[in-house]
Order: sequence, then C-alpha cells, then structure tokens
Amino acid sequence: MIKITGLGYTYPDSTEGLRDVEIELAFGDDERITAIVGRSGSGKTTLLQCLARFLTPQRGTIEIDGVATATMPEKEFRAKVGVVFQDLYLFPHLTVLDNLTLAPVLVLGLDESEAEDEARRMLERVGVAHLAANYPAQLSGGQAQRVAIARALVLKPRFLLLDEPTSALDINTTNSFGELLRELGDSTNFIVVTHDIPFVRSVASRAVLLEGGRVVAHDTVESVMQRFLVTDGAETTTT
Amino acid sequence: MTVATHSGRRYPPGRVSSTMRWLGLVLLLTAIFQHIPAAAAPSAGTTVPGYLTVALTGKYPPFSFYDRDGELAGFDVDVSRGVARELGLKLKIVTTEWDGILAGLLAGKFDAIIGSMAITAEREKQVDFSRPYYVSGAQLFVNSKTGGNIRDIGDLAGKRVGVVLGETFEHYLTEKHPEIETVTYKSTVDIYQDMLNGRLDGFVTDRLVGGYQIKAADMPFRPAGDLLYRERMGIPVASGHHELLARINRALADLEKSGYLADLQRRWFGPAAMSTAATGAPDGISSRVVATKLLQGFGITIGIAFLSLFCGFLLAIPAGVVLNGRPSPLLFFVRGTVDFVRGTPVLIQLFFVYFGAPQAGLTLSPLTSAVITLSINGAAYMAEVVRSGLMAVPPGQKLASRALGLSPFQVFRFVIWPQAFRIAIPPLVNSAVALLKDTALVSVISVAEVVRQAQSIISVTYNPMKYYLIVALMFFVFTYPLMKFAGRWERNLKARGYADD
Repeated sequence: MIKITGLGYTYPDSTEGLRDVEIELAFGDDERITAIVGRSGSGKTTLLQCLARFLTPQRGTIEIDGVATATMPEKEFRAKVGVVFQDLYLFPHLTVLDNLTLAPVLVLGLDESEAEDEARRMLERVGVAHLAANYPAQLSGGQAQRVAIARALVLKPRFLLLDEPTSALDINTTNSFGELLRELGDSTNFIVVTHDIPFVRSVASRAVLLEGGRVVAHDTVESVMQRFLVTDGAETTTT
Repeated sequence: MTVATHSGRRYPPGRVSSTMRWLGLVLLLTAIFQHIPAAAAPSAGTTVPGYLTVALTGKYPPFSFYDRDGELAGFDVDVSRGVARELGLKLKIVTTEWDGILAGLLAGKFDAIIGSMAITAEREKQVDFSRPYYVSGAQLFVNSKTGGNIRDIGDLAGKRVGVVLGETFEHYLTEKHPEIETVTYKSTVDIYQDMLNGRLDGFVTDRLVGGYQIKAADMPFRPAGDLLYRERMGIPVASGHHELLARINRALADLEKSGYLADLQRRWFGPAAMSTAATGAPDGISSRVVATKLLQGFGITIGIAFLSLFCGFLLAIPAGVVLNGRPSPLLFFVRGTVDFVRGTPVLIQLFFVYFGAPQAGLTLSPLTSAVITLSINGAAYMAEVVRSGLMAVPPGQKLASRALGLSPFQVFRFVIWPQAFRIAIPPLVNSAVALLKDTALVSVISVAEVVRQAQSIISVTYNPMKYYLIVALMFFVFTYPLMKFAGRWERNLKARGYADD
C-alpha cells in the first residue's frame, strides 16, 4: 500500500504543482492497476515524479507499507519502485538483452548468465524474445515499449510507475499493451499516469483524478471517469 | 635551431643557465672519473680511453653532412680524422644538435667539438679553444644576373638583405648598417628561394658555406665586396683539460706544416670541389637515405602524435566532466585553463614548456617538451569535445539509469560515457588529425620528426618544394582515412539513435 499524506510540491518558479494530496493506493489480487488521470497541468506528472523520488516534496509524506520513502536508502527504494518513462529512455548503445541485464548485474549483483536467463524469460513474457540481439533504434514503438517494461520488471519491483505509456502507440498496439499489463500484474502493482481514457477503462481497476494539483476523486474507474468526462473541457471549481 | 652557419649561432641563454646547474654535478663526477685513467696513462686522457670522441652536427655542409650513402663527410670530419691520427687515437664522432653541443662538452660526453665553432669571448668563458684551424667570415652575396651594379655593402642602402635568424650576421647588419633593411629567415634555403623570387637584393652568410652551397645548388649568386668581418674557428675542450688542449694544438700545428689543412681547404672549398659538387651531386643525397630519414622522422611524428593523443585524452575526460558540471572553483579553473590554451598559439606554448621549464629547475628533452605541450594542447580541445558529447546525451538517460538503481558512478561509466564517447568520436578524430599536423611545429625545438628531417634533406638538396610535398603526402595518407572514418561514423550516429533530440 502507498499512503500519501498532506503532499505539497512548489516548483522553483513558485508554481504549485501539488497541494495537500491525500490518498491511499491499495492493491489486491484483482486490483493491480491504478490510473492517475487529469488534464495537462493538473499535477499528475508532478505526483509521479514525487512517487519516483525524482522530486522532493516540500510538504507531506509518502509511505510504502508504513515506511516513509524519504528515509529509505536509495538502493532499497529503487528495488521497490520502478519507473517506465514516457520517452522510455532505452540505452541506445546496448542491445535489448544488455538493456535488461545492466541493472541486475550492477545493482542486484547477479552474475552475467543468471541475469541473461532472467532477461530472456522476461522478454519472452512481454513477447519480444526474438529481439534480444537488436538495438533500440531497430525497434518499433510498441516493441520498444515492451522492452522498457521488461527492463523495469526484471528488477521485480513491488510498484511500477508508468508515465503516459500509450502516447506513442497506435490503437492496436495500445490494446495489446493493455492485455500485457493485465497479464503482468501477478506480483507487481502498476500506477499508470495517463490521459488516455479508453486505455484506463480497459486496464485499470481504480483511478485518481487530479485537478489544479489536488485530488478531486479517487474511486473505481467508472465513477472517476464519469466525473472526469463531465469536468473535462469545462472550467469547474472543485473543492 | 635550423641548418645555418654554426659560427654565428647564439647559444640559447635559458638553456645554458639551467643545464649548467645540474651539469655542475655531472662535471664533478666526470672530472673525478677522468682523473684516474689520466694519471695512470697520460696518453689516455679522453672520455673513452684510446679514442678521441669528437662532436659535430652532421648538418652543416660542406663541413659535416651525410653523403649520398648516408656516411658522415665534410671538412670538419676530415680535420677530425687528421687530429685523431696525429694524437695516435682512434676517432669516434658523435652527432648532436648545435644548441646542445656545448652542454654536451661540459658534461664530458665528448672530448672536443670539431664543428666550425667560432672563437668568441662569450664562449671562452665556458670552454678553452685551440688555435684556429681555419678562418672564414661574413660575406655579402648578390644575384649575379640582376645585381650587376652592386660592388659591396655600401651600394645596398634601402635594399633588402637576408640573414638567418639568430646569427651574428643579423646583429652585425642591424648595428653597423641601419640603412639596410635586414630580413630574417629560418634557413639559407629560404633565403635562396627569395633571392630567386626577387624579394631580396642580397644576403649575408659565412663565406665558405655560402660559396659551397651556391655551387652545390647551382644558384646564380656571387660574392660582392670583401669579408665584412673575419671569424676564427677553433676546437673547444672543457676548461681544465690543459694536456689534451696542448696536444690538439700541437696536432693542428703539424697538420698545418704538413699541408694537410691546406689540402682539405682545396678539396672542400676549391674550384674543383665546387664543380664536382655542382655537377656530380645535383641531389646531394641518395634516395635510400632520403627514404630512411623521412620514414624514421615520420615514425617519430606518429609516436609523438599517438602519445600526446593518449595523454591528452586521459586529461580531457575529467576536464570535460568538470566543464559539464555545476559551477565550482574547479570548473572556474578548468574553464580558464582550457580557454587560455585554446586561445594561444601552440608554437608559443611549445617555447614556453621547452625554455620555461628549465627556469623552474626542470630540464626537459625536446621530445618530452613536445609531448607535454601537445598533450596539454590536445587535452584543451578534446575537453570541449568531451563536454559537448556529455551534453548531447539526453538527460533522461541519467534519470532512467537512476530509476534502475545505478549509482552515480555506474550511471556515468555504463550509460552516459559510452554514449558521449560515441557522439564525440567524429570531433575527437578531427582533434587527432589537428594534433598530428601540429607535430610539424615541434621541429623548431629540434625534435627529429619528419618536417625537421625534410629540412635537413633540403639543406643538402636545395629542393624545398619536392620534399615538402612528399611530407605533405605522408601526412595526408595518414589523415585522409581518419577523416573518412569520422565522416562515416557521424552519418551512422543518428541511425543508431544517439542524441536524437
């Protein structure tokens, strides 16, 4: 469980990114995927950056299973929380396989062959095992997306943060990517930041709606979506 | 520092004072060493017992030079043979650079210099000279076709007269003939070219050297007027070697009495010798010797370039990282150093290291000075390349690595640096090409790289265009594939997904 209490972040230019965010993200066997939605500027990316510890919030705390993330050693935190970026940032100088083995070898201390076996198994699971020897520049958008997920998952994080994962995918790829996420959710919980409503509806069990840096709804996907669609495109004051 | 008349050369003062300091110790040791055999056997008071070890440059035709077959020959070489024979010793000749020749004598590396050294009061403070073994002097030469009405130096007011930079002829002209426009050159070969081009109305050089070179190169020049002044050439030995000096003086007296010296003069400077030189050896040196010299020189060139590139690159990596980092006193220092090095001529930096380091108590060999200078210079340029390579790696790469739990060092070592390096390869190769070409400059501090070897060949063949063209081609054969490679690599970078934003 991730518990966020009184979280506030103000950018150096005084823009308030997050104000007093209070949510508990609970996950269960059938509830592996939570979506964070909102319009641009609503604070969803700021929230993701804080969850990933790339931004240090000025106010409030984030706890994972009762432990404040701010006090966790870097290594322990990174082992628990993985990130897949919107731009993926695969390492262009390494093959797909080496993209996957780099961190297990360097961070987890696995030996090469062990890491390679793990990596191949993971590539198999995400359906791109045949691309192991390719370089990132040789992959399609959908393939690269799968490799990026696999790279994060080989470290077996408890939570995986996904930033706009469908932004570069076409409809077909998005659909099969959704299926993949549902299949993968056996031991990892996903927090997906997106504005792709159909995708959220097809994959997520619960959703958080942000507006103006505040949480305006946290509920089942359907109820949050209805609220989002009502407010979307209109100026609404929500307190 | 170039092929020129030895008699007129100045001894670089910076080098003397610094070398002298540590030479004091060496001198003391050699003095102790030399005393033992000298006492035991009076005939063996030389550096190598049983031998007379003599130094000359081997680059001063017709006094000392390498002949067509690469053998040492010349007037000074023959005088050395005569003197050694008179002393009953075998002859050992050491060739050394002119600007280090006195230091070598003081360090006891050889017994005497038989290299056309003029007896001057300045030099007599450091060494003891024998009686003169020949007399020469400063001579004005003019173009025999266009300079028909010039009788002597008095006819040249307002005209341009060439001299080799640093020779006493230059100081003589500027002091005694301020009405003449004195133009300085690196070597007599350059002077001849400008005489032919009509840029000069005359030139002053040593009478014998000038006469010989003009004949050998078949140049349309003639002497005009009497000697401007005379120079007496002697054989210096280290101070205190009175017995050796006395024996050399006796040997010279005997050689003069027997007519040996006069014969040599006729052979090397007489009309017959001149015509042989002019007709028999238009190219003055065999192509095998030329090839050997140029290839050896180019080997040194490549060696200097490679070593400097390696050291420079090792310096450039941390410097580039600092330049790419946050503002700090270190960044300020590195930025300042890089800007200064990039904003000043390599040639000046070379002189600074070569002549400046000894003043700080650190005497560096020409080769070491060259490698240090080019390393630092290369490092400054490559640091900028490394910096821009690091900048070109998208910041997300660092973020993604951190998200995977890599430590800051691992992020640099395994993610950022490999990409930055690939991005930096084309400009790095360009830096390498620039550095390779910059090695040509180190000829000025007498490193025997390919340009200096070419200059040495040109001093005998008087054919600058031919040999400079060959050297240019040698460089090009090496740099062209490098440049092609850099271009191809650069085109591939985008396709492989580097720095695509």
